[in-house]
Amino acid sequence: MHAKILLFGAASAALTLPVQAQGAVFQTPGMPRSAAPANPASGSNAGQSTRFDNSFNPALSFVFDGVADQVNADGGDDGVDLSLRVLELAAQAWVDPNAWAYFIAAADEESLNVEEAAVHYTGLGGNSTLRAGRFFIDFGKQMQTHVHELRTLERPLVLRTFLGDEVKGDGVQWDCWTTTGDAGALRWSIGAFRSLLPEAEDDGTSAFAEVAERKSAGDLNATARVTAFHDVGDNGTFQLGASARVIPDYAFAFSPSGDAAVGLDNTVYGVDVTYGWHDDTGLERWTVGGEFLVSTGDVGADVTDVGSDGDPTNDTVAAVDDTRTGWFAFVDCAWNPSHSVGLQYSSTELTDAAGSDASEVEAYYTWQLSEFHRLRFAASALESDLDPDAQRFAVQYTAIVGAHGHGVNW
Amino acid sequence: MQRRIAILFAAVMLLATSASALVGDPLKLVATSASALVGDPLKLVATSASALVREPLKLVATIPDLADIAQAIGGERVSITTLCKGTENTHFVTAKPSHLVAMSRADALVEIGLSLEMAFVPGLLEQCRNDRLQPGKPGLINTSEGWKALDVPVVLDRKQGDVHPQGNPHMNLAPSGGRQMAERIFAGLCALDPSGKPEYQKRYDAWLAELAEAEKRWSALGAAWKGRKVVLYHKEFDYLAAEYGIDVLGSVEPKPGIAPTPGHIADLVERMRREKDVVLITAVWSNNKEVREIAERTGARVVELPNMCRGVPGTDTWIRMMDLVHQRIDAAFRPATPKEAKSGG
Repeated sequence: MHAKILLFGAASAALTLPVQAQGAVFQTPGMPRSAAPANPASGSNAGQSTRFDNSFNPALSFVFDGVADQVNADGGDDGVDLSLRVLELAAQAWVDPNAWAYFIAAADEESLNVEEAAVHYTGLGGNSTLRAGRFFIDFGKQMQTHVHELRTLERPLVLRTFLGDEVKGDGVQWDCWTTTGDAGALRWSIGAFRSLLPEAEDDGTSAFAEVAERKSAGDLNATARVTAFHDVGDNGTFQLGASARVIPDYAFAFSPSGDAAVGLDNTVYGVDVTYGWHDDTGLERWTVGGEFLVSTGDVGADVTDVGSDGDPTNDTVAAVDDTRTGWFAFVDCAWNPSHSVGLQYSSTELTDAAGSDASEVEAYYTWQLSEFHRLRFAASALESDLDPDAQRFAVQYTAIVGAHGHGVNW
Repeated sequence: MQRRIAILFAAVMLLATSASALVGDPLKLVATSASALVGDPLKLVATSASALVREPLKLVATIPDLADIAQAIGGERVSITTLCKGTENTHFVTAKPSHLVAMSRADALVEIGLSLEMAFVPGLLEQCRNDRLQPGKPGLINTSEGWKALDVPVVLDRKQGDVHPQGNPHMNLAPSGGRQMAERIFAGLCALDPSGKPEYQKRYDAWLAELAEAEKRWSALGAAWKGRKVVLYHKEFDYLAAEYGIDVLGSVEPKPGIAPTPGHIADLVERMRREKDVVLITAVWSNNKEVREIAERTGARVVELPNMCRGVPGTDTWIRMMDLVHQRIDAAFRPATPKEAKSGG
């Protein structure tokens, strides 16, 4: 009986105690501290009677990106396809006066991944920002941007070949900018990451790149970028940038045979230039730009069929230690906020030992149905020494609901 | 090869950084170095000198209307940079490098608020890292503070289009908006620079006197407009219509910021045909083919109005812009001359 009374008394006391909104009901000694509860705004909640107040919840958003396309390939996969490319869920909010955080989870037809989850700390003073967590790399004008937010249906071929379609890293990055006169600014960033290899799955048919999970500090993957932008007249802006992505130590492995090429390194450099112009109303816009890239070091790997019996268990892997170059250029014209057309061309040397080439051209028309969703009609053609030549016709629909942001830098 | 590329890349980075330091602000560089060498005495001299020769307050105004009124009240005690041009659509302003630089150096930002400058101000405020301009600081002069906005949405969702949570943001096109903007700017300048208050007061009073004269002119014209019918392209002139009792039949945009659909245009044309003497009001940025098509199908007169000062000739001040707005509306409401009637508008 005494025990029952004590338990009842403890439970009643707990209900009247100030409690932690996201933590345990009791904050007993030794428990991790959790965020203080939100202060209920007004009315009946003013007496701090609930721990489920949502006043300080983050801004939520989601993005839907779907594509219907027809591919004609010379000897490859062709036909019609309908796909949900990505459903992106995001939340962002200030953590305290000096830091804001966000996360982006992306679901495609097969998986759900945390694409980005990072904190921007702005309390260092000056124009510095420290970003930590998982986020897209600061390389050129495009790599910070998710594919569904690009002007084009796909990222330029050379970026996909040298860096990957979407490259995110777990790490930390320092960002800073300064003024250069009255109409210009210069920004730079340096980042260190666990791994900046493009995402890929070991399909057992080609060499698979991997970075060791634990490594010496000197083997951390890194990025660096410096970019300057300046007004050109009343209606133009010019931007010039240089970027680098370094992977000091990685390996190529071929799982059927167990062979691997280790102690490899790869560095990609890029120089980008962009010019934007708008008319006096701000509604008609032209943008032209491009980037030249050099990939150097161990740019790829070839698997050699040993024994020539079709049995892969004896095959060997050899890294391709060489330098490859590639570039892309684009022009985009929006004659009003609802309608734009554009053209993008990309050419690159591939990363095989033979030094094959490939190029891709994409033309598109984008109809911005409103500020929050759009339709895009795109036609592209790929010519490659390694893969079948292909033509693609696509309709892309993208909708953005809520306050969506990725913390993309200029 | 790899080493040569790395050296070349480092050289490019170094060059860009050095160039920026040189192009940027050589005086600042020298001053910083000198200050580091000499230390506090230099600071003391500089502080004393600044007390004698006062630097003007550096203001950034989001739109030319605010720049004009701030200049009228601030006189030589302020220097102003304007972000948006008079011809631009404020919903589509692109932030430029010069905007970032101006914001980073400013003592105050003068804005309309009500999310009018949503396209460019939040990003600039975050990037410029100027603590003086952040919300809650006296350097952020929100001129819509205390303004009773129209069209405050009851439900916030995108079915209503590009609505602004705080209501219709086009306060600068309300005849009574000038008084509101001037009052907030005056209060803001006095808070930032109390020693200048007598001068600000004198100039504020002079501006109000000029405004009072203008208001008499506008009232004389507007008295005859009650009950007249207009169609707007965008909901920019709702305040003006409300103040004079003008009947707004609808807008070319079905919802704010949403491009007109063929179905909506057909409905609008039908409604306009049922009424007589409907005037179609457009801004400089929105005088487009849809407007021309509707005018052709209904015979409505089209009047193009400036939506910010300095957008068209003869509107270098906010009062002159509102003069032109009133004159053009009045001309559109007057009976058509035989020649105009024959040409259909």
